[in-house]
Amino acid sequence: MAAVEGPMPGFSFENCIRNRHLEKIGHKAPTAYKTGTTIAGIIYKDGVVLGADTRATEDTVVADKNCSKIHYLADNMYCCGAGTAADTEMTTQMISSQLELHKLNTGRKPRVATANRLLKQMLFRYQGHISAALVLGGVDVTGPHLYSIHPHGSTDKLPYVTMGSGSLAAMATFEDRFKPNMEKDEAMKLVRDAIAAGIFNDLGSGSNVDICVITKDKVEYLRPFDEANIKGKREGNYGYKRGSTAVVSTEVKKIPFEVVATQVVSGTEAMDTA
Amino acid sequence: MEVLNNRGVEDYQTAGPKQSYFSPYSFNGGSILAVAGEDFAVIASDSRLSEGFSIHTRDQPKTYQLTQNTVVGACGFHGDVLTLIKVLKARIKMYLHEHNKDMSSTAVAAMLSTILYYRRFFPYYVYNIVAGIDDEGKGCVFSFDPVGSYEREPYRAGGSASSMLQPLMDNQVGFKNLPKQARVPLSKEEVVKKVRDGFISAAERDIYTGDEVVVNIITKDGVEVERFPLRKD
Amino acid sequence: MFLTRSEYDRGVNTFSPEGRLFQVEYAIEAIKLGSTAIGIQTNEGVVLAVEKRVTSPLIEPSSIEKILEVDDHIGCAMSGLIADSRTLVDRARVEAQNHWFTYNEKMSVESVTQAVSNLALAFGDDDSEQAVMSRPFGVALLFAGIDKGGPQLYHMDPSGTFIKYEAKAIGSGSEGAQQALQDVYHKSMTLKEACKSALTILKQVMEEKLNSTNVEMSTVTAEKKFHVFSKQELEEVIKDI
Repeated sequence: MAAVEGPMPGFSFENCIRNRHLEKIGHKAPTAYKTGTTIAGIIYKDGVVLGADTRATEDTVVADKNCSKIHYLADNMYCCGAGTAADTEMTTQMISSQLELHKLNTGRKPRVATANRLLKQMLFRYQGHISAALVLGGVDVTGPHLYSIHPHGSTDKLPYVTMGSGSLAAMATFEDRFKPNMEKDEAMKLVRDAIAAGIFNDLGSGSNVDICVITKDKVEYLRPFDEANIKGKREGNYGYKRGSTAVVSTEVKKIPFEVVATQVVSGTEAMDTA
Repeated sequence: MEVLNNRGVEDYQTAGPKQSYFSPYSFNGGSILAVAGEDFAVIASDSRLSEGFSIHTRDQPKTYQLTQNTVVGACGFHGDVLTLIKVLKARIKMYLHEHNKDMSSTAVAAMLSTILYYRRFFPYYVYNIVAGIDDEGKGCVFSFDPVGSYEREPYRAGGSASSMLQPLMDNQVGFKNLPKQARVPLSKEEVVKKVRDGFISAAERDIYTGDEVVVNIITKDGVEVERFPLRKD
Repeated sequence: MFLTRSEYDRGVNTFSPEGRLFQVEYAIEAIKLGSTAIGIQTNEGVVLAVEKRVTSPLIEPSSIEKILEVDDHIGCAMSGLIADSRTLVDRARVEAQNHWFTYNEKMSVESVTQAVSNLALAFGDDDSEQAVMSRPFGVALLFAGIDKGGPQLYHMDPSGTFIKYEAKAIGSGSEGAQQALQDVYHKSMTLKEACKSALTILKQVMEEKLNSTNVEMSTVTAEKKFHVFSKQELEEVIKDI
C-alpha cells in the first residue's frame, strides 16, 4: 500500500451524510454563485458569433459586475456558460484539457462535434446535478458549428441559439432579425442587441456585452464589446477624514534585542556572477 | 426514524396522496429610504416593480402621499400595497369628516399600526415607512413590520436593498463610528444628496433596485418631488 | 302643542303633521325635571357644577354621581334620567379610548360629543335596526374638556343636537341659571371666578341650602386634567360665596 494516497478521481461524496444532518438541524447550505445569464450565438457567413452578459449573482445580490462567461475550449472553439459559475467554469476547463489531449494524440484540430459529445456525455453522467447550460460555437474543417447544451445532457445544433435566464429576451431578438449568411458587422450587431435585450429585461443579467467572433483562421475576443451600463455617478464625497477612526488606547512597548554582530559596508560591489 | 440505506440516500418514494398549497403572496422588490431632519423629512423609493427575474414596470415609485405633509413608503407584495394604500386613504378621509381636521403624521402612523395588527394572522405583506412632520413641526420617520410593530426613528431603509442602505445611513446620517465633531445636523440638500447616492449604490448591487429614484421632500408647506435616473439593467 | 299631540306621540319615529317628534320633545321636557347642572368655559379651563338632590337623610350622598370622567381630558355633567346617561357615558368612554388606541392622540371634545349624539339618535321601535334603546334618552349632557383648540364646553340634548357654549345650565333651575350666567359671564373670567360663579348660581336656583355634600364640582385644566373637587376644596369655594 502506498504511504500517501493520491486523490480519488471524480467528485467526493464523503460529506453528503454529514451535510444532510446539518441541514436537518437547521443549518443552511451555502449558496453558489449563479450566473443568471444571457448567452447567445449565431452562425453567419464566415463563422460564428458568441455573446454573453457579464453579471454574476448570488441570490438577489450582484456578486460580480464584470465576469467573463465566454470560456476558451480550443483555439477554434469557445463556449458560453450559464448556470452555477463553478460548474460552467470547471466543465469547460475539463473539456478544454480533454480536447487538448485529443489534439496531441491525433495531431488534428479538434472538431466542434467532438467538444459537443464530450460535454453532453459529461453532463448526462451527472444527471443534471452539474448546473451548466452552454452555448458552444466554433469553426473546424467541416465549417462553422453552433450547439446549445442543456444541464441534463441534451443538445441542439442550430443556426442561432440562446441560453440562460435571459434566453427568452435574446431569442425574441433573434426570431425577429436573424437571417442566414449575414455579414460580420450585422451579425455582431444582432448578437449585441440580443444580449442587451437580456441585460435590460432580465434581472439575472446585466452590465456589459462580451462578444467572440470565430472564423476559419481568426478569433476576435472582444471584452467588453459594449458597455451597456455605465456605473452610476455619486454626487457626494465618501472618503473619510484622517482621524475618523477612534483611537481607543495607546501603548508604547520597547522591543528587547541583543546585538549579535555588526558589519560596516562601504561602497557598492558588483554582484558575483561568475 | 430516518430512512437511510447504506449509501446515505433516501429510499425511493412511491407516489401517494399529496397536499398542495396556495401561496397568496409574491414579492415585487423595490427599496425605500426615509430620513427625518430638523424641520423636514425626506422619503425616497426606486421606481422598479419586478417579480422573479422579470421587470413589470420601470415607472412605479413606491411612495404615496397621504396628507399634506405625510408620505408613506410601502413595498413588498404590490397587490397588498395597493389595497393598504386605498384603505389608508379612505380612513384618512373618514377621519377628516369625523373630526374636522387633517390627520397628523403621528396619527397616521398609529392608525397604520392598528390596521396592520388587525390582520395579524393573514398579514398585508408590506414593509411600511411613514415620513412626515410631527405636531411640534419636527421631521419624523416611523418604520413598521408587516404586522404593525412600529417605532419612531431618525432614519430608516426598507425593502430589497435595505440591508445595503441601512448601514450606509448609519454612518452618513447617524454618524455611527465617526468622531463626535462630525455630528452636525444635516441640511435638506445634504440629506437629498446622501439618499440619492445611496440609491445609486444600491442599484449597482441589488437586482430589484433600479430605473429611477423618486425623492419626496416634506416640509410644513407640503411635498416636493424630485426624480433622478438609475441603472436600468 | 298639547292640542295636536293626541295620535302622534305613540311611535318614537312618527312625525306629527306639523313636523314634530313628540317623544323627543317629551324627553327634552324630562330634563327640566332633573337637578340643575352648570358648565362654564374659561381660558384656563372648564368647570362643571351640579346639584345633588339628597331627598332623605338616609341617602349616602357620595353615591349620587352626576359628574363623570370620560377620559383624562374630558368630563361630563348630566341632568335628567341619570340611569340613561350610563349608556351614553359608556359610549363616550369607549369612543375616547378607541380613538386613542387607533390614532395615539386624544379625542377632541367635539368628536366625543358627536360620537355620543350618534348613539342618542339610535332609538326606534322596530327591531330591524340594531337599536340600543326603544325610546329617546331622557338625559342632557354637558361635556367639558381640553383639546388642541383649548378648553371646550358642549351641550347635548335628547334629540342628539349638540352646541358649543361658553356657559350653559341644564335641569330644573336652568332658566334662571342661564340668565344668571349671561349676566355674570365674561371672556376674561378666571377659572377660580368661574367656580365661584357656578356655585353662587347653583345656590340661587337650589331649593335646599347649598353645602359641600349636596353639590358636586369638577374642573378640566391643562395641568390637572379632569379633577373632581374634594369636600375640603368645595368648602374652600363655598365659604367665599
